[in-house]
Amino acid sequence: MKRWDLTLLVILILEICIFAYANPKFLMPRVIFGSINDIIPICIISLFVTMVMITAGIDIQAGAVVGLSSIIVGVTWQDLGLNIWVASLVAIIIAALVGLLTGYIVAYYQVQPMVVTLGGSFLYAGLALLISTLSSTESYKGISGFPESFVNFASYRIGGVLPVQVVVFLVMTAIAWFLLHKTKYGRKIFLIGINQNAAEYSGINTRFIIMSTYVLSGIAAAVSGILLTSYLGTAKSDLGATITLPIITAVVLGGTLMTGGKGSIIGTALAAVIIGVLKFGLPLCFRVNMQYLDIPVGLLLLIVISARALSNRPEVIVFISNLKKKNRS
Amino acid sequence: MLKQIINRYESKAFAFLILMFALVSVVNSDFLTGESVVNCFNDSVVFTLLAVGSAFVILTGEIDVSVGSVLGISAAVAATILRDGGSLFTAVTMAICVGAFFGLVNGIGVAVLKIPSLIFTLGTYGVARGMVYVYTGGAWVENLPAWFTSASHSYLCGYLTWYYALVLVFVIFVQFLLSHTKKGHNFIAVGDNYQGAELVGINPTQTKIYAYVISGVFASVAGLLFTSRIGFITPMSGNSYEMKAIAACVLGGISLSGGLGTLIGAAIGAVIMTSITRILVFLGLSSNYDNTITGIILIVIVVVNTIIQNREIVKSRREISLKRIAQKAFIDNQEGSR
Repeated sequence: MKRWDLTLLVILILEICIFAYANPKFLMPRVIFGSINDIIPICIISLFVTMVMITAGIDIQAGAVVGLSSIIVGVTWQDLGLNIWVASLVAIIIAALVGLLTGYIVAYYQVQPMVVTLGGSFLYAGLALLISTLSSTESYKGISGFPESFVNFASYRIGGVLPVQVVVFLVMTAIAWFLLHKTKYGRKIFLIGINQNAAEYSGINTRFIIMSTYVLSGIAAAVSGILLTSYLGTAKSDLGATITLPIITAVVLGGTLMTGGKGSIIGTALAAVIIGVLKFGLPLCFRVNMQYLDIPVGLLLLIVISARALSNRPEVIVFISNLKKKNRS
Repeated sequence: MLKQIINRYESKAFAFLILMFALVSVVNSDFLTGESVVNCFNDSVVFTLLAVGSAFVILTGEIDVSVGSVLGISAAVAATILRDGGSLFTAVTMAICVGAFFGLVNGIGVAVLKIPSLIFTLGTYGVARGMVYVYTGGAWVENLPAWFTSASHSYLCGYLTWYYALVLVFVIFVQFLLSHTKKGHNFIAVGDNYQGAELVGINPTQTKIYAYVISGVFASVAGLLFTSRIGFITPMSGNSYEMKAIAACVLGGISLSGGLGTLIGAAIGAVIMTSITRILVFLGLSSNYDNTITGIILIVIVVVNTIIQNREIVKSRREISLKRIAQKAFIDNQEGSR
């Protein structure tokens, strides 16, 4: 485990200890897993946005794709009469195509990823809204009345305790971790982030790999969109509207460099959980109003990132090593 | 001179705007009454200020996603002061102080601590948005004095509001400062080539801090105009405006990698962004198409522009290499004749 991952783990354990001390109810599985759905999209998507960011890209359209896939599930099920699981598959395929288009524009036309995904965040949120108007249900109500098996999927608890979302998150983490840290594909992603030209000259199809990371993040967005739809029992076009910035926060807090070439899946997963626990624990244990939660999350980001930037400055490193020397002598 | 003006990106953006207006007029001739066209400009006043403020930051090669929240908090502060009977002067001063403060924090974080700008401004985005909730207690700020809200309907001439006229003159003035003063050149130099700017004696840290403070102040002034136009403030006021401001800058030809573009371009981009909603009404489409069309326009323009740029780069490289070959042949020829 890397040093930063360890720091995050310590922060997470400290956080849980403080919350548990303030309110012992916090540790009850029923309570802690009860609010898992608010954070699960952030957790799942940020894993794959990490890969995008390691190639020195960025994906700010994932939130819009969550809404798009949710409404596609709803409309294809209700108005096209498809089986609900086939509808979910359709949503995943369309999200993958969305990722493919974005990745193609970024990789083959070399347009800045920030601009393409900014445009995409408008486009796909708009398309989701348009698709919702195609349905026979009013768009603001959302499509509901899904089959039992689909609605029960997200509320199913393995062994009566562990929600299925947590399992999905753990499986996705394992897949992402394996892809990024244990395969040739992952090494190529890192190399592209460090130096794309060098990667190209060493025989890597850099464009294809960059494109593939966007496809993966699109699929992740669709998966979390389907999970959310299943949990809420309603397909709505604006489901992921507010999660774009938390995703970036989680990825960055997890130690991924914006300029690419450095990052870890474990770090992102831990950071996403830290943010999730913070958002869930503060109202429960300290009675912080839900609406004020942007402040602690923002402050956490500012403090952690500033401290990290400071600790990497040469004068601070020299200062600390001098302190150590003095202590020794 | 004329060719220079035509080749500038802003003129292309302006041409696009006119083309858009022309297309709508063909479909629905009602659009051509002066009122509708001028109102497209009037409506853009908040986004113009936001986009021009963000443009300063983007020109230095950074980004500011906190402007929407800063707009929210300064609007909330100003609106509360006005509602409680405070003077306009206090409200404006306080709003600008709030904006400048957040700008300063952003500037220090990005320029001094060298934290990637997207991340740092993401942090201040959250803090500022949360502070709007704390400051307003989650409630709407209403019952603003009538003279303040009616100021947004005072017209300079015809359908042109005072607000847009003043903002336009101000933007042109600031653009003049940017392109004709030494301090103004610094912003573009830092964004174009950081090390190079440092080597010729520009203080890039200071320049970036200035850029963020300017962006914060512009956002707070945009907040004041927003309050005056809308007449009330909700805790969500200005939410997600930052993305629209950045999109306006991109439409106006400002490169997100810094050093390229003008404030006039950002202002035109803001008009394009806001007029899409109004145009949809005249095309008989529902406002549901708003985001889709914005997204398509943004992506298509950027992709086309990048393709053209890449072609030009390839072309100029080929010309340079052809020149070199010709020169070499010339030199070889001369040496051979000796």
